[in-house]
Parts: sequence; structure tokens; C-alpha cells
Amino acid sequence: MRKVILSLLVTLLLTSMVLPGFAAGPTTLTFWTFQELHKTFMDDAVETWNKNNPKQQIQLKTEVYPFDQMHNKLLISLQSGVGAPDLADIEISKFANYLKGRNPQLVPLNKIIEPIMDKLIKARFDNYAKDGKYYGIDYHVGATVMFYNKEYLDQAGVNVDQIITWDDYVEAGKKVVAATGKPMTTVEVTEHWTFYPMLSQYGTDIFKPNGDVILDNADNTKVLTFIKDMIYKHEIAVPAPGGFHHAEEYWAFMNQGGAASLMMPLWFMGRFVQYMPDLKGNIIIRPLPVWKPGGDRSAGMGGTGTVVTKQTKHQDLAVRFLEAAKISREGAIKTWTLLGFDPLRWDVWDAPEMREDNMYTDYFGKDIFTMLLEIKDEINPTVITDKYPLAIDLLKKNVCFKALRELSQTPEEALKEAAKELRQ
Amino acid sequence: MNKKKKASLLSFFNSPKTAPYVFVAPFILFFLVCYVYPFIKTIIMSTQQIFGFNDVEYIGFNNYRRLLNPHFFNALKTTSSYTFWTIMVLIPLPIILAVFLNNPATKGKNFFKSALFMPALTSVIVAGIFFRYSFGEQPTTLVNTLVGFFGMKPRVWLQERGPAMLALVVLCTWRWLGVNIIYFLSGLQAIPQEIYEAAAIDGANAWNRFFRITLPSLKPVIIYVVTISIHGGYSMFAESFAFWQTHTPGDIGMTIVSYLYQMGFNDFNMGFAAAIGITLLFIVMLINLIQLAFMGFFKKEGN
Amino acid sequence: MAYQMESSIRIEQKKPRKKAWTRWAIFLILLIFSVFALIPFYFMLVASFKPGSELIRYGINLKVQPDIMSWKNYGLLFTGKEGIYLHWYKNSVLITLLQTSVAVFLSALVGYGLAIYRFPGRNILFIAVLVVMMVPIEIMMLPLYELTVRLRIIDTYAGVILPFVVPPFAVFFFRQFALGLPRDLLDAGRIDGCSEYGIFFKIMMPLMKPAFGAIIILQAMFSWNNLVWPLIALRSNEHMTLPIGLSSLIAPYGNNYDLLMSGAVLSVLPIVILFILNQKAFISGLTVGAVKE
Repeated sequence: MRKVILSLLVTLLLTSMVLPGFAAGPTTLTFWTFQELHKTFMDDAVETWNKNNPKQQIQLKTEVYPFDQMHNKLLISLQSGVGAPDLADIEISKFANYLKGRNPQLVPLNKIIEPIMDKLIKARFDNYAKDGKYYGIDYHVGATVMFYNKEYLDQAGVNVDQIITWDDYVEAGKKVVAATGKPMTTVEVTEHWTFYPMLSQYGTDIFKPNGDVILDNADNTKVLTFIKDMIYKHEIAVPAPGGFHHAEEYWAFMNQGGAASLMMPLWFMGRFVQYMPDLKGNIIIRPLPVWKPGGDRSAGMGGTGTVVTKQTKHQDLAVRFLEAAKISREGAIKTWTLLGFDPLRWDVWDAPEMREDNMYTDYFGKDIFTMLLEIKDEINPTVITDKYPLAIDLLKKNVCFKALRELSQTPEEALKEAAKELRQ
Repeated sequence: MNKKKKASLLSFFNSPKTAPYVFVAPFILFFLVCYVYPFIKTIIMSTQQIFGFNDVEYIGFNNYRRLLNPHFFNALKTTSSYTFWTIMVLIPLPIILAVFLNNPATKGKNFFKSALFMPALTSVIVAGIFFRYSFGEQPTTLVNTLVGFFGMKPRVWLQERGPAMLALVVLCTWRWLGVNIIYFLSGLQAIPQEIYEAAAIDGANAWNRFFRITLPSLKPVIIYVVTISIHGGYSMFAESFAFWQTHTPGDIGMTIVSYLYQMGFNDFNMGFAAAIGITLLFIVMLINLIQLAFMGFFKKEGN
Repeated sequence: MAYQMESSIRIEQKKPRKKAWTRWAIFLILLIFSVFALIPFYFMLVASFKPGSELIRYGINLKVQPDIMSWKNYGLLFTGKEGIYLHWYKNSVLITLLQTSVAVFLSALVGYGLAIYRFPGRNILFIAVLVVMMVPIEIMMLPLYELTVRLRIIDTYAGVILPFVVPPFAVFFFRQFALGLPRDLLDAGRIDGCSEYGIFFKIMMPLMKPAFGAIIILQAMFSWNNLVWPLIALRSNEHMTLPIGLSSLIAPYGNNYDLLMSGAVLSVLPIVILFILNQKAFISGLTVGAVKE
């Protein structure tokens, strides 16, 4: 029994040690994220902040949790009113969950966004808004591009700049397969980063702006069928090892030169640098092939909104820090130099810093940003409703998996079934 | 006066009439706080749409009506077949191994017992690390190499329904085989040796002895193991979590409890999750009652 | 026993050749299953000395490769991620100690009370124990979660152990065991002037020692490896237990395989050592309950 009391005491002691200190000095802010790279970015932002605001120093305590775990914990902490951090990252497909109910537990950020709205890509802020209030700030625009393995294309005698349409891409793919024995590309079957950008690029969407579900329309069926044909008819694509482009199996596969190209948003550059070091110097980035001549060459995909929670005791400081970190001029440039993201402020896109050498230009070559500027007006907005988390979940687990991997449903059936559930 | 009061209080607590209640008080309290209250609360929650802890709306049986969807039926099917297969493997196999281990002529018994029991000491997560990679899809993974010996092609084990179920059952077998062996061994050791001797003298062969003596004598242990297997099978979550965390492609590894967890904690759809919980409770109760009736458990109680 | 064995051998002597053959077959089958049981341990040990990137590139590899093996991963346990692993370890140890001691003590009281005394409500209580044994705790997760939040014990040790302070399985086990206690000791104790509690602590508890051994081991194993509830009840990184902490290392947006494998090995080690030292207690512990069924 004495042991029990003793251990209880020890517990109490330990918990009290964990509670925030009372001593003066830097203000401690807590930040939850699911992405190691975001921690690096924020740590750098804190350094800059402390240099610029010597009187109001910040100490950032970052916790990196697994994706689901972080989102669950955050949601429940917010709903129950205790335990939430000051700042947190919420992935775009989960965001609507946090705006449910009558009273979102997040701090509106209009104060820092509205004054510079004319310099921002507005669509990226609407993703995180409800009733005219902006609740999150993204990291990037997320322009989807094609990463090609130059070595394989050369072996097959394919000139990358002559791949204009998706049909050209399929033809080039056949040459690559014949010459190298490697698949032209990989397709996500347990995630949505292949189907969703392609449908957005096509000009269709999951929802109409008024919220109507159009997931099962003819255009979407056509796009999904096209992807299926790339795998099973033309045999130029394979389902991504591990099921998606963030699986360890996939990185291993790709790092060993597994496929000749890969379609992902620009932010995937960070994954190349970190997890596929052996491909350095071999990868070139190009706009996407188009569906029809003159069509759009990219799609804006993914995103993570950083929010300030209502449970913070330093609301003003947290909001101002977030502004400095992400949408100030310096912050926006840092999203490029540190993370390799396309900044949300278009007015920095032609800044001289964007042309300087960094680890991304080392890996991919120097002309990344020139290419990006070219396609910036070819990105369709995507409609996000409160059914969005469910929609993305269905795309991942049911539509892509059943139509592309399991083949238990045709693209049409898979889309019909998912659309039916979304309409309920 | 005070002393007297104290003394009478003491004797009150010490009287053989009160003492039993003091002994069982912790369970009564625990039962009320951790079972009765949550049970009633879950029923109430299952009739609500819950936006926040203090932001709810009564919606009657809507949550139960929403249960009639393919995801739930799929989860029910997955969970039931998982339970079925784990029972199919984890009853006969450990009985046979226990009979082997109980044979006085077997060598190295203590080593085998310990070796087979060791997996029970690990957490599912640690075991899951090994099995997730063993069942990986590259041609070089353990399981793909193994099936390669038999001339089979490499498979994507964790993305196909049958193979995924196999992976789950293998993981479960690995962890619980040793424990069930120990249960059955203890049952075997309780069978008086004379019965076997008498049967041997009567000319009964090994098969006869196994089916006429061993199995019937093991019946109470089998009932016990089946009961805990149903309990464990229907509340399975950790094994699925170890392989896929919370997104299993095509819901192939999603169990009822994973569905409950996803709905309740991923989507904060607590009311709906509560309806899943109540439904699960009735299913488990029903199956257990059927099983016990089938095994003749109640008849024995009646005597 | 020896005599019985002898006699059974004498009976079997008729077909010695066949006997030797089956004996080898049995040995081989047991060996195969033991290898199946032990291989994951071997793999973890080997992998824990290799760089994590090996695992990602080549998957499971059972070879010992001294040229790429080092103690580096074990060093990382103390330094990687600001030494968070040590926090997890400490939490697991403390939670296991706390939960086991509370659960064993309380369920012994209850089981004993149910077995020894006849009192109104006894049968109902015992039925409650049996029913609760069939109810998966997972079903109660949502309101229990709300309860821990309202009691402000979320993310604390108290919150983690709350649903397990009087485990029904342990109560059942102690009741079955206590049924076999000699009841005349109860009267003897009373005549000697012992209080009812004195009888329990001084006379009966020592007799229940085997049951205690068994339940302590089962509870400690359960608590050390528990996943679902702590996953919900714990929030901050430095309060996590080993299984949850380790599972947080397997995430697609930031892998830490160097830490994962060595961390897993050290998380299994104490309980394996405990087991090897006390094999008899572990195994007899499990069987006390089963025999009584």
C-alpha cells in the first residue's frame, strides 16, 4: 500500500513538473503537427521572430504525432475544452470536422489575412473559411507537377517536352516500358493523390459550389477509367508499392529507380530530398500533360492549415507569430527555401531569393520556379464542403481501392456507390 | 462518548454482517462507475447527434438507422470471420500441441513450453512491426519468400481480403497459441491417469483414447477458451491497428471496434459510435449465450 | 507419478519402432512451432543493431551483418527525440506498478468476500461479475473518455488505470481460488479475536499466495502491453506508454525506424527476463484458474 501511495506522489510530482513554468522569460507556445518538416520550418520561424522581437521572445514546444492520432487528439481536446495546444496543423481533408457545430473552437484570423488579401492566392484561404471567417493558413499552393526520371526517358529516346497531352504520355510510357522494363508511373490505390488532381485538372470536381455531389458524373468516370487503363490496358503504370506515395515501400522502390515518372504536388520535392536521395540530379520537373490542347497543366492539391485554438492563453502573440511565420514576406519566402513549397503570397514569386541555390535546386535543377510561374493561372479551385472529409475518405478507401486495385467494381460503380453515400 | 461511538462504529464495520459488503464495496463502486454509468450514458448518446460535449441534439433512432450501411455490415463480417477463424485455429491446434507436450516421452518439454509462451509477453504493436514487414509486398519479404518455395507468386498480402484475414489470424495465433496450450495442458493434467490405463487395457487405441477420454474431459476448458476467444475476437482492434493503423484499404481489415474508434474519435461522431457500441454489446451477448447453451453450460448449472 | 509413467510405458512397449517414429514426429512439430514463436524475437534483436534505412530498403532480413551493425540505435534511445523514449519507459513502469498493485489488491478483497461470506445480494453480484466479464471495455470507451475529461484525469496515470481498478477476470479468479480455502480457519480466527479484516490479511492472504502470483503476472502483462484505452486516455508525448509511443514512430510522415527497433527490443526485454526467471509462476499462474473452471 505504501508503494501505491508513493507512486501516486511520484505521479503528482511528475505532472506538476510538466505543467508550464511560471518564470519570466520567453513565452512558451505549443504546436502540434503530423509532419516533421513543418517542425523544422516553425523552429526556424521562431528563431527569426526572436531576432526581430527581442522583448517578446517565444519558445515553441512542438509535438509531432502520427497523422490520425494528432487529428483525433486535437478534435477531442477542442470539443472537451481541455488539453489543446496554442497552434496546430490541420490537414485540408480533416479541416471541416473542426468547423462542425455552432461554435468553432478556432480563432478567426481575418485580422491578419484581410489587410494583405490582394497579395494572396485567395482560393487557398477559402479552403479554411466558414461564414466569412478564416480559420487556417496553409503552407503552399500545392501545384501538381510531373516528376520525370531523365535517365529512363533518355534511354527510351523520349523528349520530355514533346509530351503534351495525356495520350502522348501514354505513348511515351509504352516506349519507356519497352526500353527500360520499368513502369512509366505509379498510381495511388489507397490514397487519392492520383485520381483527385487528374479530375481537378480535367475541370470537374467532387462537389458543385452549391454542395451538390457530382462525383459520379461522366467526366469523373472517364478520368478514373483512364487511370485504370494506364495500369491494366496500356500497362504503363503500376499500383504504388505500399498503396500510396508516402509508404516506406514506395520510397524504397522509387529510390532504386522504380518508375520513370511520378505525378504529385510540388511539395513532394521534400520527400524526394529526404527519402529518395539516390535519385538526386536525375529528376526533372514539368507541368502535367493536358487532357485537350490548351487545357490546364496543373491542379492545386493538398494543404495543411495552421490554426490558433481558442484554448490558447496567448492568443494575440500566437496569431502574430503565425502571421510572421507564414504570410509575411520573409515567411512566404522561407516556405520555399526551407520546405520547397510554392508560397501563398504571389508577390514574392519573382523575388530574387526564389532564384537562389538551395537544396531543392541542387536536387532538381534551377528552373523550378520559372516553370511554376508559367502554370500559376492553370489551377482550378476545388470545392470543399462539410462532407469533404467523408468524400476524401471514400476516395481513398473505397473508390481508388476498389476500382484500381481490387477491381471488385468498375470505375462507374465505385463512383456511383461513393456518390450515393455522400448524398445521404 | 466519542470513544463509545468509535467503538460501536468499529464493531459495526467488523460485524460479520457488514464485513462482506466492505469486501465487495470496491467492485460495487467500480461496477457503477465503469459499467452501469457508461452503459446508460452510451444508450443516451446513441440517440443524440453530438457536436461538442455540451452541444447535443436528440435524434431518436436515427443513429441506429444509419447503421444499416455497407461499412458496418462489412465490419461485422470481417469481425465475425476473424472470430471464427481464430477459434478454428486456436482450439484444435493448441489441444494437439498440448497433448504432445503432455506425453511423458516428449523431450525438451520445458523449452517448448517457454518458447511457445514467449509471444504472449509482447504487445501487439511490437509483434505488428514484425508481421507487417513479413507480410510486405516486395518479393523479398519473409512470407513472399516462403510461398515462393511452393511456387506461388508474390502477393500484396495486406491489400487483399483473404490474405489480409490470414495475416490477422497468423498474428493472433502467434500471440495466443502458447497461452491456450497452457490452458489445455492444465486441463490434461487434471485427467486421472488411471482412466487412460484402463482404456489401454481394454484395447482402445490412441485415437479412441483422444476422442473418448481426452476431448470430453477438456470440455470445461474448451468452453472457457471459446468464451474468451469470442470476447477477444469481437472486440479486436489492436491487431488491425498494428497492420493498418486506422485506414485499411477497402475496409478489408476494419473491425467493429475500429469502426467505432474511427467514427467516435476520428470523426467525432460520438452518437453514431455509441450506437455501434450498443449493437456490438448485444451481438457479443447473444453469441456467448448461444455458445454456452450449445455447449450445455446451463444444464450443468441447473444440477 | 514415476510409477504411473513406468506402467504406461510398459503398456506401450508392444510397438517400440512405431513409438520412436511418432516421438520424432512430435518433436519436429513442436520444434517448428517453437521456431515460429521465436523468429520475431530473433529478427527484432538483429534488426535493432542495423540502421533503420535497411529495414525500409530490404524489408525483413534475418542475416547477421557485423559490418553494418552497431550499438548506435541503443544510444539513440537516450538522445533521439530529446530522450522521449525514457519518458515512455518510465510511464510504462509506473503505470504497470500502479495498475497491478491496485487491481490485484482490490480484486483479491472482492473475490474473497464473494467466496467466503453468504450475504444478501451475493448471487446478484457474482452474476454481475460474470456478465461484465463478457462486456468488452471498448464499448464503454466513449462515456469513459468523457468521464475522465470531466474528472480532469485525462492524460494522467489515474485516467489510464480507471477502467481497470477492479478487473472482473481477477475477481472471478480470486473467488474461484478462495472457494477452496478451509472455512474452519475463519471460525478459528474469530475465536482468537481476530477481526474479519484481520482474518483476511493475516490468515487467508498468505494462503492465497499462488493466486496472487498468478494475477500479479497476468495484470502486469496486460498493463504493460495495453493499447486501446491508453491510446485514448493519454495525450501528450511525454505521458505516453511504450506501446503507444512505439506505434507513434511508425507513421508515414516521419519515420524513426532506428529508434523503433531498439525501442521495441528494450520494451520486451524486462518482461522476457521476468518470465525466464519465473517460468513456473507464470505458467502455474495461468493454470490455477483454468483447472478450477
